[in-house]
Amino acid sequence: MSDVNVTTFTIVVILFVIVTGVGFAAVRWRRAEDMLHLNEWGLGGRGFGTFVTWFMLGGDVYTAYTYIAVPALVFGSGSIGFFAVSYTIMVYPIIIIFLPRLWSVSRVHNYITPSDFIRGRYGSRGLSLASAFTGIIALMPYIALQLVGIQAVLTVMGVGTTSNNTFIKDLPLFIAFLVLAVFTYVSGLRAPAAISFIKDTLVYVMVIVAVFYIPTRLGGWGHIFGTAEAHFTSINPATKKPYGTFVPTSGVTGSTQLDFATLALGSAIALFLYPHTITGTLAAKRRYVVRRNTALLPIYSILLGLIALLGYMAITDKTTAAEVKKAGNAQLAVPYLFQHMFSPWFAGVAFAAIIIGALVPAAIMAIAAANLFTRNIFTEFFKPDASPRLQTKVSQWASFVVKIGALYFAVELPHTFAINLQLLGGVWILQLGPMLIGGLFTRWFDRYALLLGWLAGMAFGTIAAYKSASPTVSHWASSSDIEFGHTVYIGLSALIINLVIAVILTVIFRAAKVPQGADETLPHQYTADPADLPAPTPVGIGLGAAEAGTAGAGTAGDLSRGRPAPLPDGVHAPGPLPDGVHAPAPSGAGAKNIDGRHMTIGHLGNGLPSCVEGIASLQ
Amino acid sequence: MAKPIVTSRNSRSPIAAHPIASAAIAVLVIAAIFFALYVPLYASATPKAGDFPFFYFYLLAYMPVLAIVLWIVIMLQRRLQTGQEAGARRPSGRAR
Repeated sequence: MSDVNVTTFTIVVILFVIVTGVGFAAVRWRRAEDMLHLNEWGLGGRGFGTFVTWFMLGGDVYTAYTYIAVPALVFGSGSIGFFAVSYTIMVYPIIIIFLPRLWSVSRVHNYITPSDFIRGRYGSRGLSLASAFTGIIALMPYIALQLVGIQAVLTVMGVGTTSNNTFIKDLPLFIAFLVLAVFTYVSGLRAPAAISFIKDTLVYVMVIVAVFYIPTRLGGWGHIFGTAEAHFTSINPATKKPYGTFVPTSGVTGSTQLDFATLALGSAIALFLYPHTITGTLAAKRRYVVRRNTALLPIYSILLGLIALLGYMAITDKTTAAEVKKAGNAQLAVPYLFQHMFSPWFAGVAFAAIIIGALVPAAIMAIAAANLFTRNIFTEFFKPDASPRLQTKVSQWASFVVKIGALYFAVELPHTFAINLQLLGGVWILQLGPMLIGGLFTRWFDRYALLLGWLAGMAFGTIAAYKSASPTVSHWASSSDIEFGHTVYIGLSALIINLVIAVILTVIFRAAKVPQGADETLPHQYTADPADLPAPTPVGIGLGAAEAGTAGAGTAGDLSRGRPAPLPDGVHAPGPLPDGVHAPAPSGAGAKNIDGRHMTIGHLGNGLPSCVEGIASLQ
Repeated sequence: MAKPIVTSRNSRSPIAAHPIASAAIAVLVIAAIFFALYVPLYASATPKAGDFPFFYFYLLAYMPVLAIVLWIVIMLQRRLQTGQEAGARRPSGRAR
């Protein structure tokens, strides 16, 4: 288009080129002896320390969608969008309960994906497959939404053409994505980890400047809140209802306090069930790195609260509000706001922050989905004897395919479709709660009961989301529906159904003496803190009893990657070894540290449905 | 969901050795969740803190407080673990 601002565009291109360079150079960072091992390609060597983990999880949890969709929801519907802030509060006290346990058991047994853990814990391939399947279908639309976020920025920049040919129209998006796909293929998790430093810095600068500078242009915070309150309490002539809410209401339906609380709680539980956040967690070097980050990451969340307020600023700025309304797309609120408020060069910095902010989580999500496919579908069902090298190759290509699929989603399907799927993704991923979080604390649940509970939760959530309607949309209108007269988050209702069924059936199956699968984990392994990597398991995830006999004393030296070695301690050793026993490790024996923190906030997706409402209300 | 989990965690032996620290951890974690989850507590436009309505101010102020609370939890957890490891197994110096 014609109105591309050259300064803005140049800045974005320069920053993108820098990021690309870092992405490719990352392969040399903490160089691996053998990059062709999933611990290396897929988990960055499992050696990230506190600092790197903080950046990476911050970069992973807070996606472009955060910067675009949360303010868009606030712009369209008001206070309900702040559920995202409440949820990023609750997520940390929740994960401090279970995440260190997941890290420990995964480290001892060399689990690379959450489904590896489920396989080992319940001895159930079916349950493992169900969880891998859920993870992949929840991640695909999530990646697509990263692209939708990039598209929103590109649209406002005026980049791209009005051509009807999809390929030409979205050429810049294709280029950005191709570059992302290639450096992910080459560098694996190291690429997004390294880039997250640039991303987080840019985002911090962008947000701090925005919250200090923009209010001075708009007449101060008092005026911003005043305008927002007046807007959301006024009546929308189309629906005969207020445009939104300025604080959650105490009623029983609509944007109520209960809706707000259930959305926030459900999303908080779901965030670290997403495979990409778990990938980020498992890349951490030590248990204390994971724990420490649960206290350090809230610092990052302060940003989210401030970003959400950008939605109110967009309402207050008349030019922005009018343009968003004209485009009929609330997703454009933040890009337009930046374009009008910032000088062209700083708008370039801000746009680059959002674009890079989308690429980092997209890369981690693609890696997580690829690892699930490789470990829990390909190796488990098709090639049980796949070598680490083959697994890595498969993962590299799978990450490529996943990204192409997401690209197709983003450019070919209507955006509302991607958003709906993302809404469903949040509901779906939450259904892993009983088997994953439950499994970290108790082996009481029966595997078939968990599978049936999962099925019920998935079915209920999907149907309820499909049936939810608003005055303007007949299906997929919202992530909340009305249960027993109260508006609540569908994901949480589905989780409760899931849990109740799992409990009742477990009681029945146990009474009926249904055989239980073998549990290869031991209680002390959930609190273990081994300093070194476990030995790479030669045969897929099959830590079968057959290998037990070969398990000699796995010494630290064996733990270096790529070398087939005896199983790490305790796995099948007679008698429980104290944790950490296998690690009287000469420090530095092959283990590099990488700090792995990663959480992606992917989860903001749960707000999406409401975004749809927000968009609808604009029209 | 939080409660049973915390309890089961606390029922493990190292935790029995430090009942006060364990109880403090449980209380802090549950409180950190509760004060965000119980929305009626802060779903109000007044009183205002400066220009910020209470609802928005509360959520923004929560984050730094949360970081401090969780840091205390981690310190307490470390005490539990150190106590446990000091017994028999403490392979190498644990993390700074």
